[in-house]
Amino acid sequence: MNALEIERLSYRYPDGTEALCEVSLTLGEGERLALIGPNGAGKSTLLLHLNGLLPERASSVSPIRVFGTALAASRLAEIRAWVGLLFQDPDDQLFCPTVFEDVAFGPQQWGIAGAELKDRVEGALRQAGLAGYGERLPHHLSRGEKRRVCLAGLLACDARLLALDEPTSDLDPRGRRELKALLKGLPVAQIIATHDLELVAEICSRVVLLDRGAVVASGPALDLLDDEALMIAHGLERPHILRHLHPH
Amino acid sequence: MTHHLLTPYRHQSSPLHRAPPAAKLLAAAAIVCAVALSPRLAWIAYGAAGILLAGLAVLSRVPALYLAQRLLMVEPFAVGVALLALFQTNGAAVFASMLVKSTLCLFAMVLLATTTRFSDLVRTLWRARVPAVLVTTLALMHRYLFLIFEEMGRMSRARRSRSFSGSRFASWRAKSSVLAHLFVRSSERAERVYAAMVARGWKT
Amino acid sequence: MHIPDGFINAPTAIATGLLAAGGLSVALNRIRKKLPPRRIPLLGLASAFIFAGQMLNFPVAGGTSGHLIGAVLAAVLLGPSAAVLVMSAVLILQCFMFADGGLTALGANIFNMAIVAPGFGYAVYILVRRFTGRTRRGTLVAVAFASWCSTVAASIACAGELAGSGTVAWKAAFPAMAGVHMLIGIGEALITTLVVATVAQRRPELIQERSAPDLRPGYGELIAYGALASLGLAIFVSPFASGWPDGLEKVAASLGFEHRAAAQPVLPSPLPDYAVQGIGSEWISTVLAGVIGTGTAFVLAWLWARLLTPESGRNKVGL
Repeated sequence: MNALEIERLSYRYPDGTEALCEVSLTLGEGERLALIGPNGAGKSTLLLHLNGLLPERASSVSPIRVFGTALAASRLAEIRAWVGLLFQDPDDQLFCPTVFEDVAFGPQQWGIAGAELKDRVEGALRQAGLAGYGERLPHHLSRGEKRRVCLAGLLACDARLLALDEPTSDLDPRGRRELKALLKGLPVAQIIATHDLELVAEICSRVVLLDRGAVVASGPALDLLDDEALMIAHGLERPHILRHLHPH
Repeated sequence: MTHHLLTPYRHQSSPLHRAPPAAKLLAAAAIVCAVALSPRLAWIAYGAAGILLAGLAVLSRVPALYLAQRLLMVEPFAVGVALLALFQTNGAAVFASMLVKSTLCLFAMVLLATTTRFSDLVRTLWRARVPAVLVTTLALMHRYLFLIFEEMGRMSRARRSRSFSGSRFASWRAKSSVLAHLFVRSSERAERVYAAMVARGWKT
Repeated sequence: MHIPDGFINAPTAIATGLLAAGGLSVALNRIRKKLPPRRIPLLGLASAFIFAGQMLNFPVAGGTSGHLIGAVLAAVLLGPSAAVLVMSAVLILQCFMFADGGLTALGANIFNMAIVAPGFGYAVYILVRRFTGRTRRGTLVAVAFASWCSTVAASIACAGELAGSGTVAWKAAFPAMAGVHMLIGIGEALITTLVVATVAQRRPELIQERSAPDLRPGYGELIAYGALASLGLAIFVSPFASGWPDGLEKVAASLGFEHRAAAQPVLPSPLPDYAVQGIGSEWISTVLAGVIGTGTAFVLAWLWARLLTPESGRNKVGL
């Protein structure tokens, strides 16, 4: 069963501009897929569809299936537990007073409490490399740490599919390294919208290139990224790291 | 930058810091009510409260200098009212009583604020069954306070480096513009926070 | 105008506490019933915004600077019930985190700045706008005048509480508070109008009325706030302005209450050297001063709105 199947998804903003045009893609269980493209291509918009935040008014038949289940209003609660959406700005997502409470937020909505909750939260924090951070306050954390807290929050929900919006943007090199290692070590399926092409080359197996709301190309990461003409044509570039990853 | 202004809580390892927040809240409320609502010239009561508070201050291991500074900061409004109080029969007694009472109560509340995290106070309110909307508002306000001040600082600095006019009116205009921009940013952020809450299953 | 502990007495603290709780309940009830869930985080974010706004220094003269209260700003941008909640949250945080405003005075401070100020201010805004029209200029006149009124009203309530507690003589409190805040209110009006005008220009859809029209305050809500404000003002102000105290004194005497020292009345008592005629002429001159001040404020509000809307002002695109 595929983690994610999207079949010809289209979307228009409330003011009428077309944001997504017949986007199709699949993501296998345990696979890491990168969503790349220039600014305004619709990457974030696409991710917001994965847990039903968009469209504003749910249509009766959704072109999106998560672990075989079509997105429908009646199944949204479950689907939101399966799909962990990591927002671009961790400050938008880290809204609770302490790290512990924030990571606990998701499970709490499911009625988990007491010792089980504590175990879940601490387990998630450990997985994210943040053991002992429970009582820390959000505004004392670095951006990288905040991002990892948000990730821990998703892991605490037992998310089976992670949708990450620019996870390495404005991280310092150490923050980036830590996040990369974390993502690489997580066995769950991941779809990563990013400008960080080095990250894509290092940890993603497949790539979907989006431009102006439409899928322009998709295929194995290293092959697609190596296609310099394609990259340049769509506002990107061939990452330097390929020189080290490809022996030729 | 402004963080030291915004964080009255000073972390220390002391019996008072470790005490449960609800107990501290109730104790502070009890002291404040007793002092504020006691008769005008109840010097014995004031003295007792003063000694109790001094003892608690020592227990809290908060630097005395910090406490003293905090107690000396007076609001112009309070000073104005206190001076007005002198202009009546019995004015001196009223004035003295106001001064002593407000200082003692301020002492109690400052001790509470320096030894108790605001987020713990909010949690105490939540457990006391204060309506959810109010508690959520207090919690979110506190969480985003620092961010808003940082944004305000950034915007003000950006404007200052672009403006040439030193007139008062220009400064009012600039600050109002900063406020408007802050409201827009806050509204937009509120939408995203809502999306983040819903994404993790928030049921209203 | 945060009142510290020790400035108001027990009966005043209790009365204002009840009024504050009442007002907050009305607001919370309204929010629970009508506010769409997606706007709940906005309450928290807006509270942070108002707090930050209150901390801004607006230089006045010499080294002094003025500060915004933000009650009408909150009411126009968010709606009156949301404003009551937001202003209350700000006051609660200020009390517990910064000891700004006393704990026993929290009820009074909430009543003054989180119920009277936004509630009365919003009512003035709606009424004036009906008169000036829903054009951009008309709306800004209403915003400016309502901001001024809210500041003055809050200060009068505050004066009443202080005088009712025997802290300050009404004869001193009322003119001082009202007079000073008639001036401070000008600053509030200027700033509030500027901010509202800027938001309306850049992102009009964010203003509550546009974005959530079904939240338009029902008459029930306006009446509830109006009643609360009037009740409060009646309790704390009218005894000084009318002949009530004589009646109250008689009742107190007949019930056997010991009349305490004039400086510490349980219920407000008349100042001993007033003759009925004295009250009469002083009262009239006070009322006259108030009318002149208010009229001037309205004219200034109109001039200010004119300054901000240099185009004909007849354009129908209002808020």
